[in-house]
Amino acid sequence: MLSDDPGTAQEGSSRDDENGAARRYLDEVRAEIDDEVRRRRTSGDLPPNLERELDQLFLAHSPLGGRGAALRDMLRLVDASVFIDPVVPVASRRPGGTAIKKGLRSLNLWYLRYVTHQVSEFATAVSRALHVLDAQVTDLRRKVDALAVPPSVAVDVAWAHHPDAWWVEVVTGELSGQSGRVLHAACGDGFLVRALVARGVDAYGVDPVERVPGLEFDPLDLRVENIEEHVGAVASGSLEAVVLSGVVEGSGYVERRRLLGGAVRGLGPGGTLLVHSLTPAAWESDDAPVEADMVAARPYRPRTWIGVLGDLGLDATVTEGPDGRDYLVTGRVAPRSP
Amino acid sequence: MKVAFVTPRYGAEVMGGAESAARQLAEHLVAEVGAQVEVFSTCALDHITWDNVLPPGDSVFNGVTVHRFASTSGRVPEFYELDARLRMAPAEASLEQARLWLEFNGPVTPDLVEALRHSDAEVIAFYPYLYYPTVLGMEAATAPRVLHPAAHDEPALYLKVFDATFSGADAICYHTAAERRLVQRRHRVAQLPQIELGLGVSPVIEGGRSGGDVLGIGDRPYVVSVGRVDDHKGSSMLAAFFRTYKKRNPGPLALALVGPVTASIPPHGDIVLTGAVSEADKCDIVRDAEVSISPSALESFSLVVLEAWELSVPVMVNAACDPTREHCERSGGGLWFGSYREFEVVLQRLCADPGLRTRLGRSGHDYVDRYYQWPELISRYARFLTAVRGRYEAARA
Repeated sequence: MLSDDPGTAQEGSSRDDENGAARRYLDEVRAEIDDEVRRRRTSGDLPPNLERELDQLFLAHSPLGGRGAALRDMLRLVDASVFIDPVVPVASRRPGGTAIKKGLRSLNLWYLRYVTHQVSEFATAVSRALHVLDAQVTDLRRKVDALAVPPSVAVDVAWAHHPDAWWVEVVTGELSGQSGRVLHAACGDGFLVRALVARGVDAYGVDPVERVPGLEFDPLDLRVENIEEHVGAVASGSLEAVVLSGVVEGSGYVERRRLLGGAVRGLGPGGTLLVHSLTPAAWESDDAPVEADMVAARPYRPRTWIGVLGDLGLDATVTEGPDGRDYLVTGRVAPRSP
Repeated sequence: MKVAFVTPRYGAEVMGGAESAARQLAEHLVAEVGAQVEVFSTCALDHITWDNVLPPGDSVFNGVTVHRFASTSGRVPEFYELDARLRMAPAEASLEQARLWLEFNGPVTPDLVEALRHSDAEVIAFYPYLYYPTVLGMEAATAPRVLHPAAHDEPALYLKVFDATFSGADAICYHTAAERRLVQRRHRVAQLPQIELGLGVSPVIEGGRSGGDVLGIGDRPYVVSVGRVDDHKGSSMLAAFFRTYKKRNPGPLALALVGPVTASIPPHGDIVLTGAVSEADKCDIVRDAEVSISPSALESFSLVVLEAWELSVPVMVNAACDPTREHCERSGGGLWFGSYREFEVVLQRLCADPGLRTRLGRSGHDYVDRYYQWPELISRYARFLTAVRGRYEAARA
């Protein structure tokens, strides 16, 4: 529920400040701990065998996909297992057992040593190859990171993203009476979802930033999620419509293509894709969102969308805003053939 | 509203994250919202054998009507060989192999599934995703189905037999955002109505003794780890880390492992194994601990972390466990370790700095107070279930 009570809002805001301070403090402590761990690792105060054994114990029950599971961590496990010991333990609980085992071991040792030596050699070679690979991947990642384009951002534009904006009426009119599921990204504080739900539309929203305290999202099904990941996790053909606002302006060409491709895949036959965008001129103006200076992207000109959505198989039209600062693109998926 | 829960084990004797969570939600729905709640479960207490030890039939427990059905088979010996074979590349296993895995894992409960077909519940909640009653029950249910996956990053999540379980749900209830991300990386279910709920923390019941007295270690400072003492829960790893820590950092610090013991922990003068303890003793022990440690990498929520924060005790968690780490990051109430090195540095820092402990404990307490109090949490859940039912009826109309 989005709170209209200023008292509640103030209390929530003060709690948010406290929570932000707690997180910042945690970050500081974590940074100090990381420095100390690095310092001790280089000092070599822990015997390598013991460290390997303990790390192996840690990794034994860690999910491979978990955070912090790097190739280097996995290699520690490989390194710990490359040597195959041919000297079989001979302890026994039975009388004479040890002597018998010792005899068998002596008889077989030349053979076992020959085999295990080759297996160990092979494992060592594989481990070395993986270490080389790890070094190369790490180096490559460093270079890629240096070249990386900043991730796309959802922009929140006060004059364009509010319940009384001209395009909100167009979108709600377009989607009223639809029975299927409708996604709005980035949903902000839920201004469009609320309007759609009020008209009986089964709408939900996603925003990468927590614009209002999470718990107040519930009754409207608004979620804090990465938009591209969300769209990628939507079942094919499961949506009646996707509305994108504040999303495409700040995303690069590849991200934009991926996002649009995912959104179109999520639409069922006859589905609608609605894209609200600032114009390039508004993006360049003084009252543009600060993200305009920070991302290597600019909005398309309205007519570009006809071709972009046409390539994705949609029939597109553009409605320009009253003062030329923004526009709404409507793309339709062909209905199911009879 | 009439709500049904489907869970493979049910009862006060059951120690298990998902099953306990189902029971708590069921009982709080009855007590705080006045909902009519029934549970479909088995006669088993043991999640490995699934032996039928409780009598089948109907009973009422804390206001909840419980229907128990005997299983026709539990986990069979062939399970282990198949599991070992499939867990290397679970996503590559065929649907037939995955179905076999599900049946071999048990509990196979055709009577429970049949009973679900005739349930007059308005909404049915399935908890967790992993077992036969959920997979087959979801196919049979005629009311809207809410899936509580209680998923963590385990090989079974990638088996094809669960694809229809996730995609067939009418709504999903997650413990944490981390669980949602995990599920959505594997299953395309983002468009389904969903909620991040978690569980509430019950009021503290203190016994009035000092934690050291309960543990029999007097005034010695100690750290605590609460929960099943089990290899899979990271208990052996924690014990080994602590033994090494004590060798390198001599002093009075002790480790208390509080919970039923299934792992083999070598005896050590600084490690206390309590076995199962009463709620009051547990509270006394946790309240006086320097730090509460959750060593498990496989948690989908971890109530023990929140219970420590309820008592303003800071926590240390396994860095590879996304949900517990997310709790720490969001609250600022705890630190995490991803190796022995980190374990040592974090524990030294926490033990040496009372100001840090106080601050983390307070942040954790605020987090629990804000998000995980039963009355608010159960109201959210009830609203969510009502919305799921409303959406289902609208679609039918």
